[in-house]
Amino acid sequence: MRSWNPNRHARFFLLPYFALFLLFVVAPMVYGFVISLHKWYILAPHPTFIGFANYSAVLKDDLFRTAFWRTGYFVIMVVPLGNALSLLLAVGLNQNYRGATFYKVAYYLPVLTSVSVTAILWRWLYSTQFGLLNYYLGRVGGWSVNWLTSTSTAMPSIALLSIWWGAGGNMLIYLAGLKNVPRELLEAAEIDGASPLQRFRAVTWPLLKPTTLFCLVMSVIASSQVFGQTYILTGGGPYYSTLTVILYMYQQGFGLYQMGYASAVGYVLFAAVLVFTVLQFKLLAFRR
Amino acid sequence: MAITKVRFHSPRLLALALVLLSVLCVAGCRSHRQGAAGDVLTIDFWNGFTGPDGTTMEKIVRRFNAEHKGVQVRMQIIPWGTYYDKVTLGLAYGGAPDVFILHASRLAEYADCGSISRLDDLVTRGDLPSNDFTPRAWAAAQWKGRQYAIPLDCHPIGLYYNTELFRRAGIVDANGNPKPPANLAEFLADAKKLTRDTNGDGRPDQWGFVYTWLRTNAHTFLSQFDAGWLTGDVRRSDLSSPNAKQAFRLMTDMIYKYKVCPPPEGQDAWIGFRTGKVAMALEGIYMLTSLEEQKDLQFAGAVSPVFGAHPAVWGDSHLLVMPKNISPERRRAAWEFIKYLSDHSLDWSKGGQIPVRKSILSTPEFRKLRVQYEFSKELPYVVYQPPSTAVNQILPFCDAAVEAILNRIKPMDEALSEAARRTNHVLERQ
Amino acid sequence: MTLGAVVMLAPIVWMISTALKPESAVLSAVPHWIPKPATAENFVQLFTQAQDFPVFRWLLNSLFVSSSVTALVLLVASSAAYAFARMEFRGRELLFMAVVATMIIPSQITLIPVFLIVQKLGWFNSYFGLIVPGLAGGFGVFLLRQFFLSIPVELEEAAYMDGAGPLSIYWRVILPLGKPALAALAIFTFIGSWNDFAWPLIITNDIAMRTLPIGIMIFQGRYTTEFGVTMAAAAVCTVPVILAFLAFQKRITEGIAMTGLKG
Repeated sequence: MRSWNPNRHARFFLLPYFALFLLFVVAPMVYGFVISLHKWYILAPHPTFIGFANYSAVLKDDLFRTAFWRTGYFVIMVVPLGNALSLLLAVGLNQNYRGATFYKVAYYLPVLTSVSVTAILWRWLYSTQFGLLNYYLGRVGGWSVNWLTSTSTAMPSIALLSIWWGAGGNMLIYLAGLKNVPRELLEAAEIDGASPLQRFRAVTWPLLKPTTLFCLVMSVIASSQVFGQTYILTGGGPYYSTLTVILYMYQQGFGLYQMGYASAVGYVLFAAVLVFTVLQFKLLAFRR
Repeated sequence: MAITKVRFHSPRLLALALVLLSVLCVAGCRSHRQGAAGDVLTIDFWNGFTGPDGTTMEKIVRRFNAEHKGVQVRMQIIPWGTYYDKVTLGLAYGGAPDVFILHASRLAEYADCGSISRLDDLVTRGDLPSNDFTPRAWAAAQWKGRQYAIPLDCHPIGLYYNTELFRRAGIVDANGNPKPPANLAEFLADAKKLTRDTNGDGRPDQWGFVYTWLRTNAHTFLSQFDAGWLTGDVRRSDLSSPNAKQAFRLMTDMIYKYKVCPPPEGQDAWIGFRTGKVAMALEGIYMLTSLEEQKDLQFAGAVSPVFGAHPAVWGDSHLLVMPKNISPERRRAAWEFIKYLSDHSLDWSKGGQIPVRKSILSTPEFRKLRVQYEFSKELPYVVYQPPSTAVNQILPFCDAAVEAILNRIKPMDEALSEAARRTNHVLERQ
Repeated sequence: MTLGAVVMLAPIVWMISTALKPESAVLSAVPHWIPKPATAENFVQLFTQAQDFPVFRWLLNSLFVSSSVTALVLLVASSAAYAFARMEFRGRELLFMAVVATMIIPSQITLIPVFLIVQKLGWFNSYFGLIVPGLAGGFGVFLLRQFFLSIPVELEEAAYMDGAGPLSIYWRVILPLGKPALAALAIFTFIGSWNDFAWPLIITNDIAMRTLPIGIMIFQGRYTTEFGVTMAAAAVCTVPVILAFLAFQKRITEGIAMTGLKG
């Protein structure tokens, strides 16, 4: 197409967004890294350059390591199960029958809640004495679980509510991906006598790979940053069993105002997630 | 589709938008405090006294304002939860008040980086006699030998005991008055008598003792055994030392060996004392008002029993400080207010505090405040949190360890070495 | 299918049910799904605590901030997207890829530096601090650029022939034609801004400047065991969003499809 706008017009149209982009996206990424190379208690007269000392301290910090592994534990619980659920829901929705819109909306509703609402709601559901979950568990098998107050069940409880919270988001993406599978291929397979499961394995799943890769990568990135649920529900407890990296970063940066150390914590997580994402691409994009 | 020639309303809209934007900009930025209007200087005073102590402070401030026409104090009460955040950010980015409260346990952080004003020059003027202050509280207001604050009060923990339960159990002195225990042996004997299963269900419904705030209780036990969160030179954790373990063993034995105390329930345990189901508790003087409200509760206060080698109790103080960047005029005004508060700390103590002015402690009016008077006997051996800038960072580790030990979630050695490791790591980073 | 709907909806229904029960009925041994004496007393209690918990103010804050963010994002992102879609300039592809790349970067690591920058600007505890940093997201630019690319050029060329300048074309041709994408973006942005938690938590500590999600967390910190009124707070925070969504839900799924993420 003919370009009929000289550059100067482009500048005006781009300026507002890019001013914001530079100030609040690009500059912080650089500034954040620079801060992490300093020892900086916010009330100190000036930050002190210490090179990578923060990073070696972070790696030696056993609380950081605890937070790191707890975050990994969370990601391992949420990503596969969450994506499986999203895919399942999407497959279900893809069978175009009446009322599909209702179900789609119903499945998506949890995504619309703030982490704050979800956390407060699930605290009520998880209440040891009066919560719904323990009531039904009690009816079924006489069980009562200390969901959020026991070190063994606290993180899985948070994982469970996070899966409920986020399933609808990836579901829409999987649904769009499923709709892209050419009907002719599926019909051909059906004519050949393939069962629904076989049709899925042979036709749908390979064509869904890019979508799946995308969803998995985004899920890992998002869930590795878990903060709100742990901050609101447990504050990292009991006994640091739900301490996550971003929560630890928050405590260091906005509780103790150790800006340099907190920044380093964030960047270590960033590096780890970056490496993991690259690994995901290498491993999963391979299978053709 | 034909598009008619456009009349540019847009530039005018654009201009309007820009004007609106700049107006919002000015409004959106932090509003700066008004300077003194006329000859009345208004200074800002922040504290976290959200409870009945806030009401007490309000009365004192109102009297100050009535008696001083040239200086008016504007008080803002901020819940302790966000208080230190606001103070820190106010000091860092502007908006800090002219005079505010700091706990002695937090002084080091603010003094060490020079964010609060040194008060040596004001003190040497002599209008606030430094030798009228109890020594430990006075020392707690200093950092590295320099004066950074004036202590307003001291709030140690002490023994609250239910006099009715004591009488019923026959623990009285020669005159028939309830006799609180003074040492470990007496404490255990009394607590055993006071722990009873009144309804025969096999579990005690009345306890001789409960742990309320673990941090203060544990600190007290540790101090009495010559241990602490940190070593004396505040360079390493002291939690794994033999003395510390001895203290923790005793605390644990109270629950599981002597069975005079239930496993810790946190602040809920205090309700047990308030409702007369618990005979003794070690709590701060600031809890006094919550007991005075309980109409049918007969209680008294005493110094904490000596469980270990020598007397010691946890204590903290509310200190009055000023920010570093304060104009000389406001500094003078704030100093007037600080002096006034200190001179009137008897009124302050009525809200559940103990003054640290010897001249006030020896007055008959103070002696009339029975519980405060008893607790004030502890002032010579109050032990504050260690003088370190890392205190606020390491206390959560200590809290977690104490809770894990007393609830038997972790073996004592493991919990202590874990907390010690984390503490040492923080100290290395300081 | 139905099981799925039940599982997903049940907690929300339970939340509303609890919000409508009097406190005495909330902590009952046997849960009743339908509140028999349905009462609004929890909501009344929620809104009459203005001294310590200015819930109405929080609601207004959320409304103002989210609306502002939405309106400004539409404006800012659409102008940038228009430039990417229609104008040629040096580095266009590179810049666009940079924008897209930052969508993948975890936003939490910029919390601290953005906080420090906003403090320097003096925007702490202000609407500016709440609104402006949220305008820099790349999703809007991405979504709208994809959509603008699909608008036939002829319409703009016709306008150009008629003597209209780029600003006029943008305002009178592109934006009206871009309504579906703009609506999708508007809803996404509004909901995202309303529900935002970490940033408002960090950039405000004045009780009166809090947004609703932060406010209800503070509220339940005090009313920890009073679940009736706590659920009422949660409901107030989420029901408006759900209603807005229901009104526009078609647009949203169209929006996802537009981004071409499926393949």
